Amino acid sequence: MTDQTTGMGQTLLEERAGDAALESPNYDNEFDAIVVGAGLAGSAAALTLAKRGLEPLLVERGTYPGAKNVFGGVLYTPTIRELTDLDSAPLERYIAEKRFSMLSHDDETAISIKPGEWNREPHNDSFTVLRGDFDEWFAEQAVEAGATLVTETTVTGLIRENGGIVGIETDRPDGEIRAPYVVLAEGGNSLVSEGANLKATESRENIAVGVKEVLEFPENDEAIQDRFRLVGDAGVSYHYFGEGAVGEAYGGGFIYTNSDTVSVGVAYSLEDAATKHQTPEETLNLFKSHPAVAPLLRGARTVEYTAKTIPEGGAETMPDLVHDGAVLVGDTAGLVLNNGVHLEGTNMAVESGYHAADAIATAAERGLTSADALSSYADALENSFVVQNLERYGWLTDRVEEDRDLLFEQLPSAVADAGTEYFRMDRAPKEAHARAAKQRIFETLGGWTGAMKLAMRYRKLVR
Amino acid sequence: MSVQPSVPEVQNDSIEDRLYTVKYDDPGDSHLGVKVPSVCTDSCETTDCVPICPADVWHRADTDSVPTIAYENCLECSSCRFACPYDNVSWEYPTTGSGVTYKHG
Repeated sequence: MTDQTTGMGQTLLEERAGDAALESPNYDNEFDAIVVGAGLAGSAAALTLAKRGLEPLLVERGTYPGAKNVFGGVLYTPTIRELTDLDSAPLERYIAEKRFSMLSHDDETAISIKPGEWNREPHNDSFTVLRGDFDEWFAEQAVEAGATLVTETTVTGLIRENGGIVGIETDRPDGEIRAPYVVLAEGGNSLVSEGANLKATESRENIAVGVKEVLEFPENDEAIQDRFRLVGDAGVSYHYFGEGAVGEAYGGGFIYTNSDTVSVGVAYSLEDAATKHQTPEETLNLFKSHPAVAPLLRGARTVEYTAKTIPEGGAETMPDLVHDGAVLVGDTAGLVLNNGVHLEGTNMAVESGYHAADAIATAAERGLTSADALSSYADALENSFVVQNLERYGWLTDRVEEDRDLLFEQLPSAVADAGTEYFRMDRAPKEAHARAAKQRIFETLGGWTGAMKLAMRYRKLVR
Repeated sequence: MSVQPSVPEVQNDSIEDRLYTVKYDDPGDSHLGVKVPSVCTDSCETTDCVPICPADVWHRADTDSVPTIAYENCLECSSCRFACPYDNVSWEYPTTGSGVTYKHG
């Protein structure tokens, strides 16, 4: 932390101790912009604003940036690399292998991808990180560029004048802080944005609940490299679908390797958690205990247990990004992509923070704060990979939801059974085994006709 | 080779032990609440707040009662706020740095 970082909590304590020199600073009208939340979207915005010569105030409710933040575990870094020097970043491991695995009750059928290119710089810009370390580092980059960070300060509301947003209310004494622009990077639990009617509450059908454990292997330093077949800084991202991963719910499980720990978790539809009475904790326990998963985690001890909600409404439920005096970024704007094989959010958060700040800097040059003047943010995001990817896969979520029993329960079992038949060792000829395997798949898909229909339903995936 | 390989034991801690891994600073007052108690007692038959919570915050004796809230268990994920079909959960950010502090995240 540099001296521009102010822990207001500490300042207040010292004030009570009678140290008049350390009075709580008055930030009202002192800044060009206020960023609510020092997660990846917020710090990307603050960093970009500072680099454009503006003075942003970055307000974080946690004790440090990252204190309240959770994600699965893989960060994609093409945009961060453009904003700052990644060499000093606290990266855990680069992703050398992606593995996609269907789990039935006690079977596993998996595909693994290990391109040689991923072992070479820049490692496909894919790294495991822990948010406590990474978010703190990223906020420091913003501070070093000129942003001011305050922690332990909760934004409780927005100040509105003549219809526009002109500042924030906080939980601090005389806690009103005015500035021309407010960037809302408060996360998916967007109490401030919703309270100011900048977005509607997302319906639970579009929310996933995620729980994760960071696990260590006490007295077994080789466990991670041996079990996941790793050399040096290489790491893996394992994804799991099907009944064995999340029971009857729509979602999946994951294992990511960090330097000395692994992140293990599940994320699935909140609607299913409610209607199927499937608690996140039990779902995690069952996933960890699956015969294909347990051997990877044997002997591991829980270092930390975390939970979060994930906004998965996609392009359809994205709120208005631009308002008079305010913009929405990251999870607050619902920028998460989950199409089964691509699980992204933090990279989209960074991209949105960058574009939002860019639009603010341009508007500030003209002295304008209206939604019109900030609309280049929405335009830039529409034209970026963020919204383009959300729109490309918007249809998929609904279709998978319709086919969920087939895709997550029947098919994983059928594929595993077909594999069992195909490779069966007895005294029957291989032709009989192949026929049995084919029949097992076809009875699940509904013959050639069913298979063709299914292929047609998902043909856009390969377009 | 005749012995059936069994699934190795993995450690699945109790929710108490899991919550114990997270640093917590009690704000003193609950940041969670029920907006209108009669919505719970008169309308809610499903008690969705209980199974969706990853931290065992919500408990309800029966469908005629208002849930009790162990707010000090809360991991601030906000599932309850989204899950309540009556939008009857009041949720505020814990103030002045209180609530959970994750180390790893």
